[in-house]
Amino acid sequence: MPLMYRRASPVVTTIAATVASMIMGIMLAVLMGLSPASAATSPSPEPSPSGDFTSTFTIGGLIRDGDTPIEGVEVQVEGDGFDEVGVTGEDGRWTVPVPGPGAYTATLLPDTLPEGIVPRDPENITRDVTLGTTNTVNVLFPTGEGTVVENNIADTILTRFIYGLNFGLLLALGAIGISLIYGTTKLNNFAHGEMVTFGAVIFFFFGTVIGLPLYVSIPIALALSAFTGYAQDAWLHKPLRRRGVGLVQAMIVTIGLSILARYVILFFLGGNIYTIDTGLTATIDIGPATITVASLVSMGVSILMLILVGLFLTRTRIGKATRAVSDNASLAAASGINVDRIIRIVWILAATLTGLSGILYGVFRQVNWSMGFQILLLLFAAVTLGGLGSAFGALVGALIIGVVTEVSTVWIPNDLRYAVALIILILVLLVRPQGVLGRKERVG
Amino acid sequence: MADTTAAYATPSPTETREPVLYSTDLVAGYIPGVNILNGCNISAYAGELIGIIGPNGAGKSTFLKAVFGQVKIRSGSIHLKGDDITGLKADKLVSKGVGMVPQNNNVFPTLSIEENLEMGMFQAPKLFSERFEFVTTIFPELAKRRKQRAGSLSGGERQMVAMGRALMMDPSVLLLDEPSAGLSPVRQDETFLRVHQINRAGVSVIMVEQNARRCLQICDRAYVLDQGKDAYTGTGRELLRDPKVTELYLGTLAADVDADTKARADSAAGTTTGTATGTAGVAPV
Ligand SMILES: Nc1ncnc2c1ncn2[C@@H]1O[C@H](COP(=O)(O)OP(=O)(O)OP(=O)(O)O)[C@@H](O)[C@H]1O
Ligand SMILES: [Mg+2]
Repeated sequence: MPLMYRRASPVVTTIAATVASMIMGIMLAVLMGLSPASAATSPSPEPSPSGDFTSTFTIGGLIRDGDTPIEGVEVQVEGDGFDEVGVTGEDGRWTVPVPGPGAYTATLLPDTLPEGIVPRDPENITRDVTLGTTNTVNVLFPTGEGTVVENNIADTILTRFIYGLNFGLLLALGAIGISLIYGTTKLNNFAHGEMVTFGAVIFFFFGTVIGLPLYVSIPIALALSAFTGYAQDAWLHKPLRRRGVGLVQAMIVTIGLSILARYVILFFLGGNIYTIDTGLTATIDIGPATITVASLVSMGVSILMLILVGLFLTRTRIGKATRAVSDNASLAAASGINVDRIIRIVWILAATLTGLSGILYGVFRQVNWSMGFQILLLLFAAVTLGGLGSAFGALVGALIIGVVTEVSTVWIPNDLRYAVALIILILVLLVRPQGVLGRKERVG
Repeated sequence: MADTTAAYATPSPTETREPVLYSTDLVAGYIPGVNILNGCNISAYAGELIGIIGPNGAGKSTFLKAVFGQVKIRSGSIHLKGDDITGLKADKLVSKGVGMVPQNNNVFPTLSIEENLEMGMFQAPKLFSERFEFVTTIFPELAKRRKQRAGSLSGGERQMVAMGRALMMDPSVLLLDEPSAGLSPVRQDETFLRVHQINRAGVSVIMVEQNARRCLQICDRAYVLDQGKDAYTGTGRELLRDPKVTELYLGTLAADVDADTKARADSAAGTTTGTATGTAGVAPV
């Protein structure tokens, strides 16, 4: 069938991959050209090749309580005779320039935290940091409300649960994007993580750096995200399908595109972590749990979008045709459906949803060049957990993953929470190989 | 073979009219250098029910796919109502009035029956209720279970959904690939009756069948396809009576069994005294 990827010679694939990556890279470069890293309002010293050597290696980080940066917290950096204390500024950021590559330790001084705020992981406030090939290393010390003595576990779980729902809902937007693309083209798109990053970075640039209001910066970020979906299909995947390139080869192309896009973003954004300022940092108490207005709005937006996607798929002609193409593309073509057009619509829709997911994720945590890549596996896990190719399954999978990863941090170190998600995935697949909502079609 | 074909170059009653659909010296295939169809000449006149039979792998499905723009045509041509439609894609053909029910995977399993039918008329959504009524007069079962997922239906029920879907766009030619495959004998009869009914409603039908005898019994004209060529053609009755066709493509077992059964029935009823011969089996149908 002309609409399916087919097997092809590796040479063609390699050339196609290179060309495609270059096109995508140039496109990104043009877009990102608006925001070179040096223009960003980051107080941390930028690595500059001609600058003072001693200041080109830095260890730094960001200390926040939920979404609120904390000022005046001290972090001691030691190593090989070097000893200096960094203090967080108004934006919660601290930076310590160090003499050069080597092994250091960074220790959070808990006494300098404000009343009622404690390290979330009091056992682990000293971190080993190794500066090797990168000039800048970020160390995160998660902190949260509470005191070491009276730490109500139930309240903590409730708070984490609500944040988990928020995280799960925003993951769902990206996961449904993956699921729709997989459903209609059977392609696993590894560049999806960068589509998350792209949305967040564009939103950060227009909203925080330039300072446009939300109702301008969000539409811009969504429109540009939608355009990346259009571009990926029109300039890359449709030609590959036309040429009959196989699914595995096409997947490798997306891996190449992912790496390329990630480093293009790194080039323009720099390696720092940025905080998005939405102006919605007020908090609301829900029973014993406290969450920010931004999180509530984020959840509302996610739920609204997910409902709209559900209505699109079940009530509209194009939405039904999308499901028909996912079920059986050649029969869809035989029924008079223009399959290429449906796939184009799906790419644009998926990229928009994923961009929105990135915006919300940037607000939920921070913005950095590899943020999307860090959750790519979670997105795939959500899609697999729910049942491959089922949009509703992706939603359920994402909610499970979001809640599990957030709640697990009550008991286990932060760094391990994504591993928990993958353990859940493996356990579910062992019990239900088709995923939570996946169905085995009857045969015959 | 060419001789036989020539011998059967049937002066059918429809001869003076232009066929709705005809292929001329059609050559097509999947793998470069390997032709599956080697010069196929098949035609269907308005209102005709055409059967295509032949051994497995003869290229019957390939012929339908070639007509429907799903297999690359290497040479030859296909005409629909006088227009050259060679190489047109499926969605264009659907809008020109060709419908197709593939041999396998012919429903959308996660869509409901109603949504399956809706997809059949993706290009003309406004006419849905009108066409739905027509299709459900032929397949009343579909109306009753319109909300059920097609993936949960039995093979026979799926076949109805598939035919219903192809009929939604009101095609002038319907291509059916083995509509009776995998069905119980009673269901097969039912399916053939429905095909007949569709045909009587004015749709020209080209039907590929493995159930050669039943197919030849109901169709107006039929083709025997062998190695990508139309080896024999004639009216259904002519082919049924042709000893060569019987020997090569219909098999003699069924005929013998039929004869045997008939003989027993006859003797049991006491209507005949002598033993029935094989001729009973090939008596005019
Ligand atoms: N997609 C394909 N790619 C390559 N070869 C194919 C493909 N489909 C069919 N063929 C080959 O074309 C030949 C004819 O296949 P086709 O399906 O048309 O046979 P058929 O007459 O419909 O047989 P059956 O009665 O078993 O359905 C076979 O030899 C088959 O191997
Ligand atoms: Mg076949």
